[in-house]
Parts: sequence; C-alpha cells; structure tokens
Amino acid sequence: MSFMQPSPVKYACSCGILNPINKLFFCRHCPKLHCGFCVTHEIESHFCSNCLENIPSTEAKHKKNCCANCFDCPCCQHTLSARASTVPVVRKSEESKDVKEPKDGDSTGEATPPVPASSKPSAVPTTKKMYYLSCLSCRWTTRDVGIPDQGVATGTWPDNECLYQARFNALVEYFQAVVLQEKQEKLEFMRRKAPKQHKFPSLTDRTGLTVSLIRRQIGWNDKVPKAKAVITPAESTSEVEGLPANIFTEQPNLRNVTTIAQRHSQPADQPTAVGSLYPQRRSLWIKRSLRCRQCEHNLIKPEYHPTSIKYRIQLFASYHVPEVVMVRCEQPLVPGKSNAILLKLTNPTMYDMTIRLLTAAPPEDAQVSAETTRVVKEEPISSSPLLKTVGITLSRQNSTREVKREVIDASNAEIVPLESEFVLSQRDDSKEFDEYVQLPTEEPKFIVWRKGNKVLVRLQFTPAEELAFGTDVVLGFFMQYTYVNTVTNASEKKEPTTHALHSRVFITAGATEQKAT
Amino acid sequence: MEIADTYYSKDEYVETASGNKVSRHTVLCGSQNIVLNGKVIVQSGAIIRGDLANVRTGRYCVIGKDSVIRPPYKQFSKGIAFFPMHIGDHVFVGEGAVVSAATIGSCVYIGKNAIIGRRCVLKDCCVIEDGAVLPPETTVSSYMRYTARGTIEGGQGNPYFVPAAMQDEMINYTKSFYEHFVRTPAPAS
Repeated sequence: MSFMQPSPVKYACSCGILNPINKLFFCRHCPKLHCGFCVTHEIESHFCSNCLENIPSTEAKHKKNCCANCFDCPCCQHTLSARASTVPVVRKSEESKDVKEPKDGDSTGEATPPVPASSKPSAVPTTKKMYYLSCLSCRWTTRDVGIPDQGVATGTWPDNECLYQARFNALVEYFQAVVLQEKQEKLEFMRRKAPKQHKFPSLTDRTGLTVSLIRRQIGWNDKVPKAKAVITPAESTSEVEGLPANIFTEQPNLRNVTTIAQRHSQPADQPTAVGSLYPQRRSLWIKRSLRCRQCEHNLIKPEYHPTSIKYRIQLFASYHVPEVVMVRCEQPLVPGKSNAILLKLTNPTMYDMTIRLLTAAPPEDAQVSAETTRVVKEEPISSSPLLKTVGITLSRQNSTREVKREVIDASNAEIVPLESEFVLSQRDDSKEFDEYVQLPTEEPKFIVWRKGNKVLVRLQFTPAEELAFGTDVVLGFFMQYTYVNTVTNASEKKEPTTHALHSRVFITAGATEQKAT
Repeated sequence: MEIADTYYSKDEYVETASGNKVSRHTVLCGSQNIVLNGKVIVQSGAIIRGDLANVRTGRYCVIGKDSVIRPPYKQFSKGIAFFPMHIGDHVFVGEGAVVSAATIGSCVYIGKNAIIGRRCVLKDCCVIEDGAVLPPETTVSSYMRYTARGTIEGGQGNPYFVPAAMQDEMINYTKSFYEHFVRTPAPAS
C-alpha cells in the first residue's frame, strides 16, 4: 500500500467536490475546506526547473518566460546538456592547416566546422574547449543540424529568427501602443469621475506600464510618445505557389519529416524537415500560491527560492481537520449483512477536540454564517458608489462566479451512529518518545484503542440490501468536531474562539462479495 | 489507508544498533563505503554498489526489493570516474528500481521499476512515477513529478500532481512503513 494510491477516505470540499485530505486546504478565516478547484491560483515566482535559477517576474516577461541558459531538445523535448570537446588551436600563420579534433565522451563522429584561430601569437599549439549541445535521451546533437560549436558552455547559442519576426515585432509594438492608449483613456476617465485613487495598481498588467501609471499619479507628464506605430494590414493573395517538382518524383523519407509534437515545440517556424530543428529555450516553471476566494486570505504561499521546499503560509487540511484513516472492515462485505469498520482518527491540532459522527447534518448550519460574512466583506471593496456604477474596480475579481454544488450523496450503506461524542486529545510530539501507559479510563464501547492524539473507532454499518455483486460500498457520515481558531477576523477579540465545524466524509470500504447462502 | 504490517523472519534480517534492518539476501558491495544513517530498511534482493564509490543514505529510507543503488560515473577524456551518492532522509525506492543519481534529496518517492540515469539530481519532495525512465543528467526539482511518459509536471503549490504537504506525507509514510515492518512473532509454544 503506498500513499500514491487513491485514498478510500474522501472529504467533501465546501464547493461540493470530494477529495482526499491531502488535496484539501483549510481556510482559518472562513473557516471552511477548500480544494484546488475553488481557490484562486496565483504565480508566486518563476524559476527554471533545470538550472534552478529564480527569475523575477519582470525579467521572465522580458525573456518570454524562457530560461536564458537551458535548452530543450527539439527532437524529444528533453533537456539538452552541454558537451565539451577539446580542439587544438592553430597559430595565425598556419591558419590553413587542417584541424582534426579528438573528442571525449560519446561523439557522433562528425567533423566540426573550422575553428577560428586565436589571436595571441603563441609558439606552442594550445587546445581550446568547444561546446556543443547534446540530448542524452535521444542522442540528438547540435552538430546534427550543422550548428557550429560555441566557445562558452551556456548562453551564447543564437536564437533562430523566423522569417516574419520583424512583422511580428511590429504587430506586438502596435498592439502594445493600442493597449497603452486604452489604458490612458480609462485612467483619464477614472480621474474625472472618481476623485479617490485606488491604492493598488492592477495585477494583471499586460504591458508593464506601472511605471508610467505611477508617473501619472504623481502628476509628472508621461514620457510615452503619443505617435502611433503604423502597421500595414495583411493582404490576402489568390496566387499560391505551386508544389515543387521533386515532390512528385522523389520518394518521401519519413525519417526526415518532423512529428506533430516537434513542430508544436517550435511554434515560430514549425519545420517539416528534421534538418531545420533548432534547440528551444526551456520554458520556466512557477511556484503557485493559493488564495481563498471568499476572504482573499492566502492558503498556501511557498518560499521564493526554487530549491526551498518550505512554505510561508501553509493551511493544509491535514493540519486542522481530524484525519480519518480506514484500517479495515471486520467481515467481508455482504449486502444486507451487518458489518463493522475500524477507523483511525487523528487530531492534528494543539487543542483537544470533541468529535461526533452523525448520519444527518447538524442542525446549526455553519455555512449560513460564512455566507453572511462574505456579504459584509464585499462591501468595503467597492466603497465608492460611482465606481460601483461604472463597474471598474482595481481589486481582484473572480472571473468565474461560483456555482453552489450539492454534495452528491453516494453512500449506499446504513450506518449505526455512535451513541455518544468522544474527545480526541491534542497532538503532543513528545508523547512519541514516552512510555505508553494505558490509563484506566472509562471509555465508550466503540473505542477500540487510544494512544495520544489517535483513536481507533469501531463503526457499525449495513450495506444496502439491493447492492449487486462487486459494487463498492460507500459509507457517508457527517463528522462534527470542535475547532479552536487562534485567528479571528474581529481584532478586539484576542482569545481563541471555538467553532463546532462539520465535514462530510465518504469512505469506500471495498467491493461487495457474494451473498453467503 | 493504513499500511498493513509486513512481516520478516528473524533469520533473514539483521537489525543494527541504529535501527537499520538489512536483509541477508542483498548484495552490499564494499560495505565499508555504505553508510545507512539509522532506521533504514534494505529489503531482500537489493544491490548497493559501495565498491564503486561511497553511498550515504539518511534516516528512514526504504530500499525496495530487487532495486539497485549504483553510484554515478562520468566519462572524461582519460577514462571514467565514479562519484559518491547521497540520499536524503525519508526516501522510498520502489521495487526493482535502478538508481544511479548523483544526489537524491529528502522526502523523495521513487516508484517501482523506475530507472534513474547516471548523474541525475532529484531535489527534495519530488516523485518519480512507477516505470519512469530518467535520461542521464536530468534534474527533477522540488514538488515535480516525473511521469512514465517522460514528462515533468507539477510544481510547488500545484495541488494536482504532488501533494502540497509532500514532506509530511513522506515522513508519515516512511515512519509508518518502518513501524509496520515487524518481525514475525515467535510461534506460541
């Protein structure tokens, strides 16, 4: 059994999707469970996953989200690595002399292009290191397509410019100017309509114009030239070049034709021949931070550094919600026959928890109160009525409206609810090293075993009578637990507050077996 | 799901003072060059090539059945050289995996029958899927998942590929694996 396998225990997220606990997050401010689907994903930092270099977002934008040093193989999209080969350098007077180079490593056995002679007039023949890129996955090298070797291991490889690069740049320039103008007009409009400026500039800045924005805000004149770039619109032509003559006469060699994936990885020119493949700059990766959509607090915020595995904010559900682990069923699952399941519950928090397992939702609905706080929260964002009517806010807006999804009740077994609630004591890491002593306490009947913050509970259930052979038995129940919240939205209250929260838990106990006759 | 107990016979496994459990049915070449830092399980059929270079593992590692741990080499113009191999804490190496990485960080999961080429770098908290083949000199950075198809996916904060709490998951998993790896109880006489 490995943790990589799908977990049989699933929790219902506040958005209605079932998830294992390791994919859930817990917002302490709401307080609710959230999954990756119902949070806002934001880019925390850019980095190259090969050289592990952190690249600031402005620089990443400037470099078109590609790493400056690392290249991908155009053939198999794996990373290319630089190989060194030593080349004897000939003196200036003997420039015409043939150069033969001994190579190390796995060489392709091809001749390198002639090496430029070094300018220093040394009498002894020296050697020089020349580098080429090689893919260790498919054995493609830059020598295969005739790219000359470089004197520096990284960075100096030229970009392959496609034919219409100039046209593309002109278009980009033009549309940037258009966006800029639109932005200025909007700004002008806002200034006339609303006297109050917003504190934060927009986070979805398409053009990197924040500097100019700030310049305008403090009243300096904008240096951006008003003159519009002129572009010539594309023209359609009815004359299409005919196919080359050799396409009818020559046998096609499919080994020299690129695959779809290879063409897509080189989107600018999309070569059809293997000979025009070119090393592609490796695209950057991101670290994400997740944010609660209701209260806009961070759920996850990783450290900037690419090699760091730490988080600055980590509100994993497994740190706040009691974890239910399925141990085993006591008997084979037979439809209509009473059975019992052993569940291990763990309290991850530093406070004692009182837990009840219920078959119906608790009467006091926590979701209603969360809904009201949300309404209150929305008020101060758009304080100015003018802004509200105009419909422009610089605050973050959800592009998708949340659809309230009902949790699908997939349970097909009757559960005998536990007769009483029980207390799960706090987590204490030092207890791990202590001698284990069973205290003679009065325990309810359903508690099989208890140690520290863990408890083993026996839950009786009966799979439904009409279940066919081989169907999964799903147990569904509500787990109500007390949660001590140390953060509160109200600033005047400092002491932690206790909430009675509940989450729906579904357990796939296993497939039914043949009814014993 | 709770990990089921795995039983081993007293005759098969050697338990050291630091809690390492090493099967007798393993090939540990150059055992003076192998350092297991405590509570490491080396299951039967595993091969650790300490004769090539030093191999050092952290605490709570699991070296699965029939896996091969082999220090990486690099080819130079004057022959080849082997480099020492470092494995961090809480690393799980699945059954039949062949590992020739230069460094493996902490909390790394390597699936069954995965092949890690020479001089690969596996950073902390990454996952190598079952049956994945890593070409030599590949870097898999933290919270990335190397798939059997040969692609890399995930990233820190992305909840869909590698769990965000990968560190805790691996610590729990390797610790409970060690706790559930128990000696077969003596038959009642």
